Amino acid sequence: MASLNLGENIEIDTELIKKAYSLAVKAHSKSSEKAYNVEESRRSSDPVIFSFSGCWSENGWYDGEPFGVTEINLPLLFPSLRSIGVNENALVNKAFLQRFVDKILGNSDFDREVQKAVKKNKQILFIGHSSGGSIANLATIWFLEKYIKPEYNYKISPSSPLCVTFGCPLTGNHIFSHALRRENWSRYFIHFVMRYDIVPRILLAPISSIKLEFQKVLQFLNAKSVNLAHASIDNFDASNFYMKVMKNASSVASHAACNLMGNTNLLLETVSNFIPLSPYKPFGTYVFCTGNGKLVILRNPDAVLQLLFFSSQLCREEECTDIAQRSLQQHFGYDNELQDCFQMLNEVHLEPLEQLPLSSDTTSSDIATINSALNDLGLSTRARLCLCAAGELEKRKIGNKESIDLKKPDIEKAMKYLEEDYQLNCRHRDLGCYDAFKLQETSKDFDANVKRLELAGIWDEIIEMLKRYELPDAFEGLRDWVLLGTRYRRLVEPLDIANYYRHLKNEDTGAYMIRGRPKRYRFTQRWREHAERMPAESSGESCFWAKVEELRIKISSQGFEPIKEEVLLLEAHVQNWINLGELSGDVLLEKSTFKKWWEDLPREHKLTSCIKDLKVRKAVTEKKQILFTGHSIGGSIANLATIWFLEKYLRSDSPDNYKISPSSPLCVTFGCPLTGNHIFSHALRRENWARYFIHFVMRYDIIPRILLAPVSSILLEFQRVLQFLNENP
Amino acid sequence: MSQNHLFSSGLELANLVVSSGVLYHSWAAVRDLYSEINQNEQPSLSVRYKISQQPNCTTIAFFTWSACSKDYIIQGGGGEDLVSSSTLKESFPLFEFLCTKTNPKFSINKAALELFASIRDSLPSLKSQIDNSKVLIITGKSLGGSVATLFTLWLLETIDFSITKRPLCITFGSPLIGDNGLQNAILEYPTWNSCFLHVVSDQDPVPRVLISPHNPPATESASQTNVYKPFGTFLLYSEFGCGCFKDSQTILELLMATYSEGPGNQNSNQVLELYKKIVEFLNRKVICGDTTGLLQWTTPPLRAGIIIQLVAIGLMRPQPQGQNNGLDNLITKIEKQEMELVMSKGLGFNPSKTLNEIKINMAFFEWYKKCFKEKGIGYYDSFKNGSSQTDIEVVKFKTILAHYWEGEVNEAEKKPQKEGAPFRTGWLGAGTNFRRMIEPLDIAEYYKKGLKDYINQGRPKHYKQLEQWLKVTEKTASNPSQLKKQNVASSLTEDSCFWAHVEEALISCKLLSSRESSTGEKELSKHNLIEFENYVLSLMKNYAVSPEIFLPQSSFMLWWKEYEEIIRKGIMGASYYSPLTDLMKNRSYQNYATGDLEIP
Repeated sequence: MASLNLGENIEIDTELIKKAYSLAVKAHSKSSEKAYNVEESRRSSDPVIFSFSGCWSENGWYDGEPFGVTEINLPLLFPSLRSIGVNENALVNKAFLQRFVDKILGNSDFDREVQKAVKKNKQILFIGHSSGGSIANLATIWFLEKYIKPEYNYKISPSSPLCVTFGCPLTGNHIFSHALRRENWSRYFIHFVMRYDIVPRILLAPISSIKLEFQKVLQFLNAKSVNLAHASIDNFDASNFYMKVMKNASSVASHAACNLMGNTNLLLETVSNFIPLSPYKPFGTYVFCTGNGKLVILRNPDAVLQLLFFSSQLCREEECTDIAQRSLQQHFGYDNELQDCFQMLNEVHLEPLEQLPLSSDTTSSDIATINSALNDLGLSTRARLCLCAAGELEKRKIGNKESIDLKKPDIEKAMKYLEEDYQLNCRHRDLGCYDAFKLQETSKDFDANVKRLELAGIWDEIIEMLKRYELPDAFEGLRDWVLLGTRYRRLVEPLDIANYYRHLKNEDTGAYMIRGRPKRYRFTQRWREHAERMPAESSGESCFWAKVEELRIKISSQGFEPIKEEVLLLEAHVQNWINLGELSGDVLLEKSTFKKWWEDLPREHKLTSCIKDLKVRKAVTEKKQILFTGHSIGGSIANLATIWFLEKYLRSDSPDNYKISPSSPLCVTFGCPLTGNHIFSHALRRENWARYFIHFVMRYDIIPRILLAPVSSILLEFQRVLQFLNENP
Repeated sequence: MSQNHLFSSGLELANLVVSSGVLYHSWAAVRDLYSEINQNEQPSLSVRYKISQQPNCTTIAFFTWSACSKDYIIQGGGGEDLVSSSTLKESFPLFEFLCTKTNPKFSINKAALELFASIRDSLPSLKSQIDNSKVLIITGKSLGGSVATLFTLWLLETIDFSITKRPLCITFGSPLIGDNGLQNAILEYPTWNSCFLHVVSDQDPVPRVLISPHNPPATESASQTNVYKPFGTFLLYSEFGCGCFKDSQTILELLMATYSEGPGNQNSNQVLELYKKIVEFLNRKVICGDTTGLLQWTTPPLRAGIIIQLVAIGLMRPQPQGQNNGLDNLITKIEKQEMELVMSKGLGFNPSKTLNEIKINMAFFEWYKKCFKEKGIGYYDSFKNGSSQTDIEVVKFKTILAHYWEGEVNEAEKKPQKEGAPFRTGWLGAGTNFRRMIEPLDIAEYYKKGLKDYINQGRPKHYKQLEQWLKVTEKTASNPSQLKKQNVASSLTEDSCFWAHVEEALISCKLLSSRESSTGEKELSKHNLIEFENYVLSLMKNYAVSPEIFLPQSSFMLWWKEYEEIIRKGIMGASYYSPLTDLMKNRSYQNYATGDLEIP
């Protein structure tokens, strides 16, 4: 059994690819009937194959001028298809998305059949030919977004799910491509493209430029999909269509190449204003069929875009008519071509791109194979330079990431100072960091300010690079950076807020949250929200102080009543954040701005407030000795409270750093009934926690013994005993 | 990590220019205008123009009868003459705005200028037909292109680049138009430079006529007064393709090197035909692969990119081996220039990083200020006395900061006022903070030298400018909020010139109590002191002044002591009373720092 090696440890059985193609073409030819087909053999090792049909009408491709794209704003279906930090949704072909949502997701059978395959843990393939391929792309992304969640228990492997397309048009823009690479999903997509097949290039042209011919081309392709032999198209139309698409592809490729090459001439921008440039960008692994049995494999999206143009360029002007015809015929030529290719299995990997030979008459043997493949695709020196530039850019991004990684120790060091020295110093002054920093009374505050600014310098640099997409696509998904960003944000943002309100920047600039919040915090918050699949704007714990300051200002001008709702909301958040350890307990210190503000709220409000009971937390923060005590049943509650406390604050990762000593916490009970069984007792002794519990029992006190009797045996008297005890406190 | 490779993107840029269709579009506009005139008119000396409106593009084409031949420019009455900006100032002041402090003068070709001046009266109506929501192409061939260039240049002054897309001026075979003064004026603003594209055929003598022999590129020693220099981007053409060049020295050399003698003098029609062939050829060629097989595979990408460009503009013939026809020198030169361009663009340069470093210096000042507040003197007076070790250190930090902001302000000023939003809020905020914190120290140094009238005679430009920019963005002040009052202890005095006013008031006190002063001086001093009182009172009312002025050893308190004495002596008039003196006498100013002082 032969298999095609796609690099990065991905191999696919060639028979499977051939089967996929025939299924894809079959699905497409019956486009009007069914939007998708499922193929499942009884053998459990065989994959389940979903094949999708496309559409042969103009508005099935271009829904709207000039390129038929729309912003993906479907956070439930496609939460990942966006750029996280800059907070921009991906663009996708509107007609394809509509078709997928209406015809595929709208059909409940589809999800049922996918679930069936998931339950059996089968290999799953999504495939499509032509625009059906785009639907397969969307289906695969939808699948990944949904079934990657642990509750489905589906094993995602390099070979499942897989999306295999043939002559598939482009589907999304650069953010689309960026997002898939960030999630490390682009490896699930394999696109086969014939050297001259025009379909993968069509969306590089605006509809206005090809309107005349596109209808005829679609008619031809449709006829051909029904009957391969009997379709034909006028040479004139074919040539015009080919030339117009290629001219636009040329603009897109040159524009992209200028940027890849670090162009310094602003004329680029001036000229770009005069033409609509296609926003589409490839993603996934592309397999170009050279037409003579070779397969050229590459996955750098910038390079693929260049290759889409250069490989179908003319060599001489005279061949225009011929190539134009071929550019349409080849859309249905994958089976023959793949047959040849798989017999030879002559695949060439173009990476690393920056080391490609620039000249076509190279004789050096180790690069001869690559060179001959490049020649087979008709790549001139100019084309090769563009590919090199794409590789070089990727290399530079990796270099940027490395230089940022080198700064990690600096970040850690500055944060350590703030986390340890500075926090401790503030505690000695009975202040939280926020309030101490706002007052700026000692030289420690000055040191902290310098550290804050040093950190800001490093982080701003990272954010600047992200805004310009100068870091590898994967960066915003890297766990260590997301964690570091979250820690940094929780630790340092309060200092920035303190600085902001200390200098009254709100007076001339506006509220911190609206006008003053630096991007370094906005970005890192979104990183966490994305990584933990939280709703947008839900991880705002680091802006706690800004909210407090704004509420203070509002109350002082408007009074309490109009903003009561906001206060309640903040209190609920505070309770939650403190319980989760996301907000430091020092906000509850007596001298804290928050505490002082809260104490000034109306008494009726405070009595029912959800945070009035955060006392334990406060004691922990102040490192006081803590005693839990109770009489009778109250003693049992004290027992449970003590255990809860130990479980919570003894954890080594507890942010509060509370020191457990033999005398703290302590649980002292008087006449307390028994509370747990032998395992309860065993567990407490195993943890060496039994020593924190002291029970006083009088010789004849019956209460500690009551639970030794089944309730049925004392039913009659128990009620009266309780009544008596209750009446004689 | 291996060294990063650089690339030359001129070929790709040229390709984009062609495939975008702007070349064909503008050539067609020139042709339409020409055929319109050709049918109806006899050749004359006047300039013709035509505006055509497409759904999303406005095109203005210029045409002149004269000067399709190089002979006209050279022989036709001093065609290479230049007119300097100082002459222009009197007769034709449309280009005044190009003169800046760094670049005070420039000169423009006389012939082109006269043609442009001849349509002076039509300029306003032409301009009124430009629709800002559309993109704009301005074009012309030969001297028509020169007129198009001047017209575009004139437009640049009034275009707000933040809301309008840049216009594109495309000339076909136009001669150079100005000297290095004009070149510098335009290069100063990269966006301006990016509006000009000059298309030059290898067979067209006109664009080269003002270069040689008057302007030999190799010798820089020749007198600079009569030297034409290019600006904008040049798209050079040959039958093998085209390439884009921006560096002016490269352009001059290539213009000369690529010239291949075509048919001598040509009339308008022939020149049009020449460029028609070019435009159509390039249009077809844009989807064809090139066949350049003359590289050794070890050639670094930058060099390779330059070589294939030189092939495209016809300088090198495709040859199998790495023979470069003795052009190695030229290639290396271009390579060097391209590298410099990339470097000056500053790969990896990050302005926000520097700003953060500057903020660290500012944090130091905050700390310095705080220390002296505790000593009861205030940082202004401490620095003025210059007694402690810290004060000396401060000078160092101050120099760094002043240097940074002088540079920043200069840069910001250089940008045309309307080229995009001037700066980000954060930047101006930091600048304001700097001004309020550091300017008092400059004032201290100034008065320490015994000088007077800082505000009018000694104030550095960058402070003035920063204050001016803040005024533009600031909204009108309302009454101070409760929080502002409570916070007054940690805020900076809003008017960074406050201490200059105090010093002037001290001088007035001296004049007033001195026996040598004239009556006039005394009256003026009295007047100034009352002004000063009102000034201080209004600052206090708005809580706009730092309570540090009330520290026992501050210059302000020194002034009060002297002033109190003057009042006691009755110099200000018997039983002199004012709200400020009242505040000072009954010591209620002590409530100011806590925000408890109410001034009606």
